[in-house]
Amino acid sequence: MKVSITFDRLRWEEKALSEAAEAAGLEASLVDSKGLVFEVPKKHPDIGDVVLQRCISHYRSSTLTLMLEGAGLKVINSYSVAETCSNKLATTIALANAKVPTPRTFLALTSEAAEVAADRLGYPFVLKPFTGSWGRMVTVVRDRNTLQSLIEYKEELANPHEQHMYYLQEFVRRPPRDIRAIVAGENIIACVHRIAPPGEWRTNVARGAVSKAFKPDAELKEIILKAAEAVGGGILGVDAMEPESGYLVHEVNNTVEFKGAQSAVDTDIPAQLIKYVSQVARR
Amino acid sequence: MNTSCTECGATLAVPNDAIVGELVSCKDCSQEYEVAEISNGNVLLKPAEQVGEDWGE
Repeated sequence: MKVSITFDRLRWEEKALSEAAEAAGLEASLVDSKGLVFEVPKKHPDIGDVVLQRCISHYRSSTLTLMLEGAGLKVINSYSVAETCSNKLATTIALANAKVPTPRTFLALTSEAAEVAADRLGYPFVLKPFTGSWGRMVTVVRDRNTLQSLIEYKEELANPHEQHMYYLQEFVRRPPRDIRAIVAGENIIACVHRIAPPGEWRTNVARGAVSKAFKPDAELKEIILKAAEAVGGGILGVDAMEPESGYLVHEVNNTVEFKGAQSAVDTDIPAQLIKYVSQVARR
Repeated sequence: MNTSCTECGATLAVPNDAIVGELVSCKDCSQEYEVAEISNGNVLLKPAEQVGEDWGE
């Protein structure tokens, strides 16, 4: 069974996954997706039967996954999972329908409706783009004046999805940290707190957050695995918060970065992820 | 493996164990490059893609 790790930006994670695959005795190759050409719907000679999708660009990633699945290959994660995780609205719907505790969220389809939604949700709240990562453009909106200014900025955006539609989420009072769990199938491979750097409320490692390992309690473990299952399962990064009222899952990441978590835990994360890939390959 | 930064002309050292697709940046001007090709100890670089709105996890 040949395993391909597709990428468009070769980071530490992809190299570590490739090395782990070699160490596990798998026939594995790193494939730069940027040079690939497909005759639809045929397989590509450079790509194996099982693909670990690691493209950093969401649209490139999901388009390539669609193509590969169409050619009959097994892709981790599937197109369906990629689509659910890459759209915050789809993620919230999946989590809420699976009864996974998640922050209260509103959708508005015009700027006027956004103001109505804000009044119903109450200030402060968090305005998030539908697609995107690393905390980019995620904003705490503390009052109506700020919202009106943000609406003006959003209306100038080129992307119609972000220009006219609004995803508003409850601002959760939590410690200056959140939880990142790396899940593979039905196993939690690693669990860390991501501690926000001074002067920053967002807890993304890309924003300078530091990871610190901890052992999740039984309730959190159950919520993490339920969240992973809710979006369709695979190799995922489940993000949760811990306000006094109980755990809340706010995001599930489809192409999980784990360099930060690896710096905090003894578990060999890439080795464990590759173990899961080889299990899927054998199915 | 050494090459030159097309942006500022500084010498750009690429690690000998670099592989195609890997990123390197110029220590002088921070321009980021992607290793496009390695053959006979020579390395060919191309400018790395810029961060896109849809980039992330």
